[in-house]
Amino acid sequence: MKVLVTGAGGFLGTHVVERLLAHGYTEIRCFLRDRGKAERLLALKEQHPGAQLELCYGNLRSKSDCARAVADASLVLHLAAGLKGAPAELFTDSVVVSRNLLEALEARTDMLISDTRVVLTSSFGVYGVVPLGRRARIDESTPLEDHPERRDTYSHSKLRQEQLFWEYQKKDGFELVVLRPGVIYGPGGGAFSNRVGLQIGPVFFHLGGSNLLPLSFVVNCAEAIVVAASHPDSAGQVFNVHDDSLPSASSYLRAYKKQVKPIHSIRLPYFVTRMLARSLEAYYRHSQGQLPAIITRYKAAAAWGGNRFNNTKLHALGWHQLVATQDAMAQTFEYLRRQKAKQ
Amino acid sequence: MGLKIAIVGCGKIADAHVEEVRKIPSVHLCAVCDTEPIIAEQLAVRYTIPRWYCDVAAMFDAEKPDVLHITTPPQSHLSLTRQAVAAGCHVFLEKPLALHHCDAEAIVASVTAAGRKLSVNYWPRFEAPALELHRLYDSGVLGAPVHLESHIGYDFGGEFGLALRRDPEHWVHRLPGKLFQNMLDHVLNKITPFIDDDHPLIDAIAWCGEAGADETGRGELLDELRVTIRGAQTSAYATFSAHARPVGQTLRFYGTKNTAHVDYAARTVVLERKQTFPSALGRLAPAFLVAKDYLRQGLNNVNSFRHARFHFFEGMHRLLDEFYLSIERDSPPPIPYEEILRVSAMMERIFEQVYPGARA
Repeated sequence: MKVLVTGAGGFLGTHVVERLLAHGYTEIRCFLRDRGKAERLLALKEQHPGAQLELCYGNLRSKSDCARAVADASLVLHLAAGLKGAPAELFTDSVVVSRNLLEALEARTDMLISDTRVVLTSSFGVYGVVPLGRRARIDESTPLEDHPERRDTYSHSKLRQEQLFWEYQKKDGFELVVLRPGVIYGPGGGAFSNRVGLQIGPVFFHLGGSNLLPLSFVVNCAEAIVVAASHPDSAGQVFNVHDDSLPSASSYLRAYKKQVKPIHSIRLPYFVTRMLARSLEAYYRHSQGQLPAIITRYKAAAAWGGNRFNNTKLHALGWHQLVATQDAMAQTFEYLRRQKAKQ
Repeated sequence: MGLKIAIVGCGKIADAHVEEVRKIPSVHLCAVCDTEPIIAEQLAVRYTIPRWYCDVAAMFDAEKPDVLHITTPPQSHLSLTRQAVAAGCHVFLEKPLALHHCDAEAIVASVTAAGRKLSVNYWPRFEAPALELHRLYDSGVLGAPVHLESHIGYDFGGEFGLALRRDPEHWVHRLPGKLFQNMLDHVLNKITPFIDDDHPLIDAIAWCGEAGADETGRGELLDELRVTIRGAQTSAYATFSAHARPVGQTLRFYGTKNTAHVDYAARTVVLERKQTFPSALGRLAPAFLVAKDYLRQGLNNVNSFRHARFHFFEGMHRLLDEFYLSIERDSPPPIPYEEILRVSAMMERIFEQVYPGARA
């Protein structure tokens, strides 16, 4: 079975390839855009001489590159997505490229799309958590966001991407597995999710308070993707992906300050954040956008309202956390400490 | 209801057009269009625009807009302009106007033949400091122009730069003048009103200023440009730099009476005056006079901020306002067509020198 991994050179992608190899997959096509990100994959290739690890360079914006990517692949793990940039860029790199990939799968003549399993890495950002209120429990049955335009553009683009996959699945009848990770973190990643707070100038505004952080250590997340991709009963299913023993935003920040570096932070209680958001919205309207409304009440409710999380469904597939949360945080902070030292 | 506006091309810059159009109460943004449905849809959803289309002809039929904003890559500007004026629209085009000067001429000709109006998004020309410069010039404070220096910086780490770096197939890479063609309008349109010659002498050199550019997919993209321009009485330098910091936009106007320095990013205009004090006193005074100018400009900027007139695209807002008014009153458009064509002709001559053979 040939496996295609898109975004294979990325933060999550290299770990997914590693977990595929650990699970015994031997024919893996790693599709990546940036040749500068091939180093880890080339090392894996050397470490696994018995496996056929093919590095395929290209851009999923190109339909011909998509055709090259999907040739002979019966399992497609789609990880590539836009993470930053202008909205049109995010939609192009998450949604348009997904459509190109799906059309390339449809266009294959050597293999029916219905014989293909497609695994999409979506996001927690697709959930419509605002109407649920604070402390609501998020699981796979939680409704999707009704007002994506009121959220951040990343969440909006991920929701549209997921909807697109379901539309094509309905039309083409392939096996679709969707994973919705929370905050993916680890060595190679960033220090803070917005759920902890926002760095504005020299000050870190700690907005997450005692909310639980739906952290997913990158190795554990990669394991979840491979377990779900391999399980015969996962087709047509959605799985939330986060670790067990989740820390709160404040305990994460405390640990960061202790293990990486002390930073100046100001904690804003949720009601203050809401008041601030209300003021920013009012100023945004009054000034017709002279300053961006970086915090709105809707965005605040989604990011800092605070939810409870559930990964029972993922566990039922046989997933277990490879790296304990405490060790995962220690590894992450060690990496961040080294990065700071380099600077 | 006033003018009906539609936009074709829903990429990054379309956001700015939507935001500025929506600030003008006398017009109404009715629809957007892009050949890529996902991109058209996302713009319409994010800004709650009533309708979106993938086919511009279908949009014309259904919406009958008065003005079409063309924010597609320049490869399609000529054909879209022709379709738009045939549908009775005036056109507001994003820069660069066209691939080649002959296309720019054809765009202007098709608009004038149809009795419609056009403008190009030379928004820095309508920023407050640019208007102040023109006021100083018109009032005779600066005297006649002797020499001008127009500079623009570029950041490959910014939204537009990142898009270019990530995608080797980006439309900018396919322009005859590549990155320069996408930026040079803003350098030259500040100079052309003061160059007293339709066919000035132009010398241009360019180079790639960053080692290892291949890794980013940019290949041999030239990103440093120096141009000297010599008219009958006035000369100019135009510079583009992707490496000088801070990234800025400035114009220095050397007049026969005084010199003005315009900073478009900081929104300041500072005069360097001919000194009347004798000897050492004449060397003491300028620093204080310049400081006074900066203080005045800073306070003006605070005042603009206080009155919510300090947006990034304030100049575009002003330009659109004037363009729509020129349509409603049937008065001349805010930027004379001759100026637009002079910019386009100068650009073509620069690209012939830095990218010889690109014409094919």
